Amino acid sequence: MTPAAPLLTGEAQTPAVPRKSFVDSALNLGAVLNEERFFLIISVFIGIFSGLSVVCFRLAIDWVRVGLLGAAPHAHDWRLLVVPPAVSLLIAILVIHVFPLVRGSGVNQTKAALYIFNGYIPFRTAVGKFITAALAIGCGHSLGPEDPSLQIGASIASALGRRMNFSREKLRLLAPIGAAAGLAAAFNAPISAVLFVIEEVIGRWTAGILGSVVLSAISSVVIVRWFFGSEALFRIPIVTLVHPIELAAYAVLGLAGALAAVVFSHAIAYLRPRVRAWPRTSQYFLPSCAGLIIGLFGYLGAPQVMGAGYQYMDEAMHGHFTWQFLALLVLLKIVATVLSFVSGTPGGMFAPTLFIGAMLGGSIGGLEHILYPHLTGTIGTYALVGMGVLFAAFLRAPMTSVFMVLEVSGSYSIILPVIVANTLAYVLSRTLQPTAIFDILTRQDGLDLPSMEEQREEHVLRVEDAMEPYAGPVLNSEMSIAEANKRITDVAGDVFLVQMRPSGWTSASRDLLRRLVSEGKSDLTLASALPSTRLPYMHPDFPLDSALRYVSETPIVPVVSRADFRTLEGVISSQAVLNRYRVVPREL
Amino acid sequence: MARSPAGTIALLTLVAIVFFAGVTRLMNRFHEQEKALARHMYAQGLSDQQSGSLDRAVEDFRAALSYDHNNFDYQLSLARALRDSGRVDEAEAYLITLWEQQPQDGFVNLALARLEVRKDSVQDALRYYHSAIYGVWPSDSDMHRSQAQLELINFLLDHKALAQAQAELISLSSSLTTDAAAHVRAADLFLRAHDPAHALAEYQAALRHDPNLVAAAAGAGEAAFALGRYRTAETYLERAARKNPDDAHVAELLQTATLIRDSDPYEQGITQRERRSRLQSAWTHAGERLQTCAQSQPLTNPSNADFAALHARWLELKPQIDHLPPMSEEDVSDQAMDVIASIEQETAKTCGSASGSDQALLIISQNRMAQNTSGADQ
Repeated sequence: MTPAAPLLTGEAQTPAVPRKSFVDSALNLGAVLNEERFFLIISVFIGIFSGLSVVCFRLAIDWVRVGLLGAAPHAHDWRLLVVPPAVSLLIAILVIHVFPLVRGSGVNQTKAALYIFNGYIPFRTAVGKFITAALAIGCGHSLGPEDPSLQIGASIASALGRRMNFSREKLRLLAPIGAAAGLAAAFNAPISAVLFVIEEVIGRWTAGILGSVVLSAISSVVIVRWFFGSEALFRIPIVTLVHPIELAAYAVLGLAGALAAVVFSHAIAYLRPRVRAWPRTSQYFLPSCAGLIIGLFGYLGAPQVMGAGYQYMDEAMHGHFTWQFLALLVLLKIVATVLSFVSGTPGGMFAPTLFIGAMLGGSIGGLEHILYPHLTGTIGTYALVGMGVLFAAFLRAPMTSVFMVLEVSGSYSIILPVIVANTLAYVLSRTLQPTAIFDILTRQDGLDLPSMEEQREEHVLRVEDAMEPYAGPVLNSEMSIAEANKRITDVAGDVFLVQMRPSGWTSASRDLLRRLVSEGKSDLTLASALPSTRLPYMHPDFPLDSALRYVSETPIVPVVSRADFRTLEGVISSQAVLNRYRVVPREL
Repeated sequence: MARSPAGTIALLTLVAIVFFAGVTRLMNRFHEQEKALARHMYAQGLSDQQSGSLDRAVEDFRAALSYDHNNFDYQLSLARALRDSGRVDEAEAYLITLWEQQPQDGFVNLALARLEVRKDSVQDALRYYHSAIYGVWPSDSDMHRSQAQLELINFLLDHKALAQAQAELISLSSSLTTDAAAHVRAADLFLRAHDPAHALAEYQAALRHDPNLVAAAAGAGEAAFALGRYRTAETYLERAARKNPDDAHVAELLQTATLIRDSDPYEQGITQRERRSRLQSAWTHAGERLQTCAQSQPLTNPSNADFAALHARWLELKPQIDHLPPMSEEDVSDQAMDVIASIEQETAKTCGSASGSDQALLIISQNRMAQNTSGADQ
């Protein structure tokens, strides 16, 4: 992430010029509601509309499921074999002919809206995503409602923003604001949603963005809790960590989670482009084939892998399955999700990721309990930590993964195991597969969207990397022209820094000082003879990019200490900046 | 579209209100449908549970809970079904969750207590039983408390914690109402807890409420018998035997009680002559029992030496017993009863438990020893 560091000058900053696009159109409230404030209010409405839409989306999924698969789908029910392929055929027709933009999870589409399409997401996409994802998840495809909710929220925000005639900058930001609202509503977890959007979509923090994202997320969560209650997503068992040695068991879970995440993402990355390269006619039947295989899993005894599976995650947390069955569910869910996703069926990856993590955690926790019965953590604790582990390793959102577990569990006492396991999983999965799944999907789609993970890891060049020692004498503004000329006589260089009183810096060239002497101004002080304009100055930790704006206007820019602006650390010039940039590729 | 901010906000608010109202209506329908599905699945689960299909019941209760997540009854039924189907850990997870929600709930505590009983975890079971007994019951609280207490007492008796069981029983009996059957249950438990005095009182209370209760009469007879009150025992046992002549246990007890009363030389209120006659009869019977038992044992039996010693002693005292004066000396009578007691105990050990007159003599000698011991203690 590139920090938007303010540049300091010796003069007061110019007040911001009010924008015209919106304020000009405002009538009586224009004086009170400038675009910034109005944007915040609109963020609240985005949250409300997203929250209401997500509530409807969840109802639709449940109605589809109950209507098609029955109130309690169980193994050996013929509907599990018939319904998924049949409904998948309908979904394929809708995706190919009516809603071509609804494929995939929705996270990358939202990022594309932000970085490519100026925040534009057609409202039709929201409608299409709503219908097709509800059908897909309801009929048993191994996909989740979170990413579609994110995209539905982003679509609503985009549509609303276009109606409001916001500036292009604001329009771009509306998509992630809506995305945060949609995700927060789907997860019933506002902090995780805000963090995910900041961590994975926007990639930067500013007060304005944060305010809007938080407002929309909170509004949507309030709406969802109004309808569904404020209880956490899962009934969390008692979490205890009696002895620190138990962290080693969670570390094992972290390592296993990383391996599972790598297998999961490798499978998607390998199969998706190959499947998409098949003839167009095959695209009609791919979701059906995936649906048939997943239905077969359910028919043969594992209906848990069908749909989002939150109910079964909850059961895993309460030790309802043996560790062997949980391990089997991990494998089946990976296969089912890969099939659903690569077949182009609309739906999200969040719920399957959490499912795989919960089952993996429960399985490893159960096995560790058999091998080391003295371990105090319940299987539920391992399942919960496992969810965070897969989230960190597969979706590569380490901060979100930690807060997500805290939010869905409502328990702070789990923090240590979560941090240990998630960090290990994240680091190992990055080592085994450097590119995150969302970036892989983006590149497979032929887009070049910024990778937030790569940005986070990017080496940022700073002023201190290009700074050079100042060779000349520092002239004092109270010095006379004659004295200054004398100081520079035996010194190399053409431009010299002048320290002004009481503060600030300026520069004087050798030619200027000579000319002033020749004009008979030898007795004048530098302060009175030189122009009053101050040089901008920088600190060593400023990003090198920011120096580019100034080195083109002045031959040298003083680099001063943050502790004492009169202490010169060095200077920076355009040549020094360019030289530094030239050596970067060799270093990388 | 150029609209003022105020107009835009007003319009958005209006749209939000309409949207909200629409979603509320949808949501209400959804909840109704969910509740109906939950009720259906719950009823199916109860039916499966009653027919013994516990695994199916578990699935049904789970489905019911998926539609009505916080329904206490569904959760409790699922936990019970899990427990009864042997999935103790799963049941415990559910029950602990419920207990955290309502730690005072009688049903939850009782279910947890039963779970701990299955796990043979005595201390936890006791804790949950007590919480159930003193917990909150939504209806019929007295009945539920009594049942929980009865379960606890049975659990304590199974674990030989007699003193704790007696304490619980005394507490239980103080809260019993006019239900004769409840008094009988409590009395039975008192008997199991080796507390025949309280047992007799409870049986008598039961008989006051229902004089025709055979079980109470039989129990009262047994309790009185255990207390050594053979006349009372005879009265109750005769009453029970009249109403249920096929009860072999009652008949046997009655016979023994009668034999004791008829053959006890220490019976109060009998004449010296009668006392001497009883002593002589007992002496003769014991001698026969010793001879019969000794003859049935192989020569190599180590107890033969004891029998020989006893027989020698019996022969030694026999002349004195045969010619006991009407006002016999206490010393001779005591010696005779000691020999009779030793013979009955030895023969019971070697030749099997005594019956009939032998059993009566054995009990008489045991009662005498007990009296002597308590007298010596005092």
